[in-house]
Formats: sequence, C-alpha cells, structure tokens
Amino acid sequence: MQKEYTKEAILKKAKELEVEFIHLQFTDVMGVMKNVSITIEQLEKALNNEIMFDGSSIDGFARIEESDMYLRPDLSTFVVFPWSPVGEKEARLICDVYKPDGTPFSGCPRNTLKKVLKEAAIKGYTLNVGPECEFFLFNTDEKGEPSLETHDNAGYFDLAPVDLGGNARKDMIFTLKEMGFEIEASHHEVAPGQHEIDFKYDNALRAADNIMTFKMAVRIIAQRHGLHATFMPKPVYGISGSGMHVNMSLASLDGNNAFYDENDEMGFSKVAYQFLGGILEHAPGYTAMTNPTINSYKRLVPGFEAPVHIAWSASNRSPLVRVPAKKGNSTRLELRSPDPSANPYLALAVVLKAGLDGIDKDMTPPAPVQSNIYDMKKVERKEKGIESIPSNLKEALKELSKDEVIKESLGEHIYQRFIDNTLIEWEQYSTKVTQWELDKYLRKF
Amino acid sequence: MDRYSILVADSSETSRKLVINLLKQKGYKVYKATDGAGALRIARSIFPDLALIDINLWGIKAYEIGKIIEEDGLSTVVYMIRKPDDNFFKQLKNMNLYAYINKPVNSSQFYQTIEFSLMNLDKIKSLEKKVENLENTLKARKLINRAKGLIMENLDISENEAYKLLRSKSMDKCISMEKMAQKIINKYLPND
Repeated sequence: MQKEYTKEAILKKAKELEVEFIHLQFTDVMGVMKNVSITIEQLEKALNNEIMFDGSSIDGFARIEESDMYLRPDLSTFVVFPWSPVGEKEARLICDVYKPDGTPFSGCPRNTLKKVLKEAAIKGYTLNVGPECEFFLFNTDEKGEPSLETHDNAGYFDLAPVDLGGNARKDMIFTLKEMGFEIEASHHEVAPGQHEIDFKYDNALRAADNIMTFKMAVRIIAQRHGLHATFMPKPVYGISGSGMHVNMSLASLDGNNAFYDENDEMGFSKVAYQFLGGILEHAPGYTAMTNPTINSYKRLVPGFEAPVHIAWSASNRSPLVRVPAKKGNSTRLELRSPDPSANPYLALAVVLKAGLDGIDKDMTPPAPVQSNIYDMKKVERKEKGIESIPSNLKEALKELSKDEVIKESLGEHIYQRFIDNTLIEWEQYSTKVTQWELDKYLRKF
Repeated sequence: MDRYSILVADSSETSRKLVINLLKQKGYKVYKATDGAGALRIARSIFPDLALIDINLWGIKAYEIGKIIEEDGLSTVVYMIRKPDDNFFKQLKNMNLYAYINKPVNSSQFYQTIEFSLMNLDKIKSLEKKVENLENTLKARKLINRAKGLIMENLDISENEAYKLLRSKSMDKCISMEKMAQKIINKYLPND
C-alpha cells in the first residue's frame, strides 16, 4: 500500500474500474472502524475534503454542539475491495477527521498517532512496526449465530476431512496480497481454530491502517467461508488467547535502524536501551490502551505464552519485551502484551510515547532476565524488582490515570472518552452474576 | 455413474425434511444445512452439483450466500421461495440458471425443476469445456505461429523448415510445441 496517488489518478482509476461506492473510513476511540459511504459522483467532493458527517452520532466522538466534522481522505490509502462482486465495485479511503475550522479533531485516533509521530520526527526518528495478528475462526450454530465450535459436528462419513479454516486463511492471504499487503508468514496457532498472519513492517501510521484493514478483510473472507472470525483476546478458557505482538524499531530520518550498534554485546544502540527503558517504565500506564477490554486480562495470565511480568529478555518468551535474535537492520523490540482488541492508532501512539520518554529522560532498562519468570518464586521476582502488568481493566485504568506522559500523548478528549466508556463497561461487568459464580456458590452457601 | 450431490439449505425443519426426503427417494446424495454459514461450509467441503437455498435462510442473507457460492465456483444455486417478487426475478437473472423452486413444494414440479437444472448444468459444463479447449488450441496456435515467424526471420529459413525445427526441438526437450514456442519467443523478445 505504498502507492502515492494524486486526486486525478484516483478519479481516473475509480472510473476505469467502474467503482460505484466509496467507503470513507475512520476509527472511533474504542477502535471500531466507521464508514461514511458515498457514491462515485461524490468522490471528487470527498477528495476535496468536503464530505461532512455528524460526529455526535459516533461512540465517544463528539458532543452535540461540535457535531459537524469533515473527513480528509489519505490519498495513499485508496484500495478497491477485491471481494466486491462484478459490476458493483467498492473502494475505500482512510480519512482523518477535521473540525469545521480546518484543524485536526483531537478525538480522532489517527490524528493522535500522527501527533506523536511528529514528536518523534522532531527528535529525528520514525517508528517502524511489524504486527503479528492472531485470531480465531469459529463455526456458526444451526441458527447462524457465532459459536465456539471449530469443527462441524454433522458427521458425513463419506467426506474427506476438509481444512475449512486453512482454506479460509489461504483465501485471506490471497485477498490481502491483492490489497497490497506483503505477507511474511501465516500459520495455525497453538489453540484449535486459531490462526496467525504476519505482514511486513511499515511506518507506524501505515501499520495501524493495515491492522484495521486486515481485521476487516479477515472478517469478510471468513464470512464467505461460512466461518466467524473473532479478534476477541481470550474467547475460550483454558487455551491460548489471541495476541497482537508489536515488533518495533526506530529508524533515523536517513532510513537506518537507530536501534543497532555493532559494538554492543546485544547489538543494541544507546537509543534502543533508552527506548526499552521507557517501554518498561510506562508499561503499567499504557496497558489500558494496548489491552482495552475486560476480556484482555483473561489472556494475560501465566501459562499461555502471554506476558504477565514487566521484564525483558533476549531468548525467553515469557517477559513483556523480547529481543529477537536478528541483528543489523532487523534489530527490534517485540512487545508481547498488546492484543487485537486494541485500537491500533492509540496503542502505537502510547507505546511510541513511552519509548520517546525513555530517550528524553535517558532511562536505563534493568538487566535482562534469562530464565522463565513463571518459574521464579514471588520472593525471587521481588528481589529482582520485577513488577507485574495490571491484572484487570480497572487496575489498568488506575495506572493510566497516574501516568501523565501517556495521558498527554492521548490528549484530554480521547483520555476522557476512553475512561468514561471503559468504566461503564467495567460497571456492567462487575454487577453481572456469572456462570462461574453460580457453579462455585449456588450449592456451597 | 456417480450420483448427483445436492445441498439443501433451509432453516425450516419441516420443509427441509420434506425436500430431503423427496431427493432421497430419487437416489440423490443429499447434504443439509440449517443456516447460511453452514451452507457455505458444506459447499466448500463437497462442491455439490446443486445447492437448493431457501430464501428465508437464517444468518447471512440467501442472496449473499447464492452469490458467494456461484462466484467462487462452489456449486450452482437454485433458490426456493414462497412468493417470488420483482426483486427476486432481478436477482435470478444474475445466477447461473434461471430456475427456482416454488414453495410449498409440489413433488412433480419439484422433480422436474431438479432434473431440468441438472441436465442443463451438464450441457453448460460440457460446452464450457469445449470452449476452453478451443481457446487453448487457439492460444497454442498463435504462439507457434509467432515463434515460427521469429525463427524464419532470425535464421532466414522457410516456413516449413522453421516448423520442423520447432517440432524437433520440442521433441528433444520432451515438452509441448506450445511451451517450446513460448521459450523461443522469450529468447528473441525478452521484454515481450
């Protein structure tokens, strides 16, 4: 998706390909993609940033008195959907949200990420991000509702076993490639029905756009295969959840990897250590953004390759940050806590801000841990000063409220909307009587 | 001869059972689905000859299912509908076959539609195959002529000699003349 289009080129291409509908896409605070759909006749108007929508109708967006919002399409994001049927072609453009006075709207997560990226650029860096997105493919039940089944129960004995999930994944990769993705790897994951597709690293803004596009494409293709794709972090108790590991590196403005230093024993530059220091320091504060749902914290438990402790390691996969063995231009940090329910724009904004703060304040990360932290005794972890990431959403919100650096990167508007929305969810969750409670207490008391 | 396989996708148990029974009586191999997604899963697993899809199927809309099944070449769709309206006939025009089943099902009409659909499908398939073969032959002939022309031009030999050369080269390499022709074209016109 690296093509740079001009207005004229898009108009011409849309006409050539007989595109009929264009979806103007943006993402709300909670990470849900929104569409304002227009017909081809309105495309020119859209490209002139003249399409308006009512912001107050979008979750966590704007108050009623500031409801008029403008969409500014990012021309490089123009893509024609490969799955649209013949004769009814549809395309999309990812947009930034602007206020009527022509300034960026502070409640638009894409603007927020751009703001932090600008801060990085002033210091001389760009952020490259390679995400690894996991998801589950489930069957539907006899009423067409999503279920937790991964295999059809209707046993037809004359049927050779067909890998429906695997076929769907192949189709997804094919579609994503057509949309300009470079796929690095794809495989079955640990849990039944779980899949992973990794795509090539890109600058942070594009990576966030790609994550949103990826989720949309995966859902649509899964549906075409009669399957339900979910990015819920932990859909099934007792098996691995779905993560969205984020591989990050800073590049200097001339394109060289700023994390690499051949003279260091680990191949790490001073900037890399400082950045890592910031990532570890602010981990409690930004976890609410990288893991924003109640369900997120059911994934972050020991025993399923998900991180629980704030530490880093070169070899071991249990801590929050892993440093993959690849060096040189591939030197990077892998943050293992984020999950795919995160708003990618906000998650990358806070993580970058944490790293930049590490550089600003010349932070030094603690020594790496080489052994499996899960196996360490509590005392041993305490001696080594290894803290845990927040264990539930409420705790994460509390930590976020204490972290001024992370709050500043989000901006007052998004911070407040996020807290309000999430607290409502927490309240609903806390007052529900769950099956677990019934099983545990109904007979006991 | 293999028996025809037919997928019945209908969320109403009564009508699903009725249709399945009718089909089984005639010896068809029958598969069932109770919702849209289930229909897609079975279609992708067995590629049935026909997919009978009730218009009121639960889950994904029947028209959507029908489109996906035919676009991805999984099967051929025949809708089942109680009261066809203008919109239905408009949708029907885009499908492989212009045929549908009226509900409530009348058995003799039902069998007629099924047999009509299967027979027409066989004919369409054999015609498609013929067209494909013809297209391939035409493509091969074009390639061979082009290569022949290039050989004549570059080696300054007659058409007959060029053809013989092409034939013996492809025999030496144990590949079809079409492939040899492509190689020759690639050699003389690497940027073509």
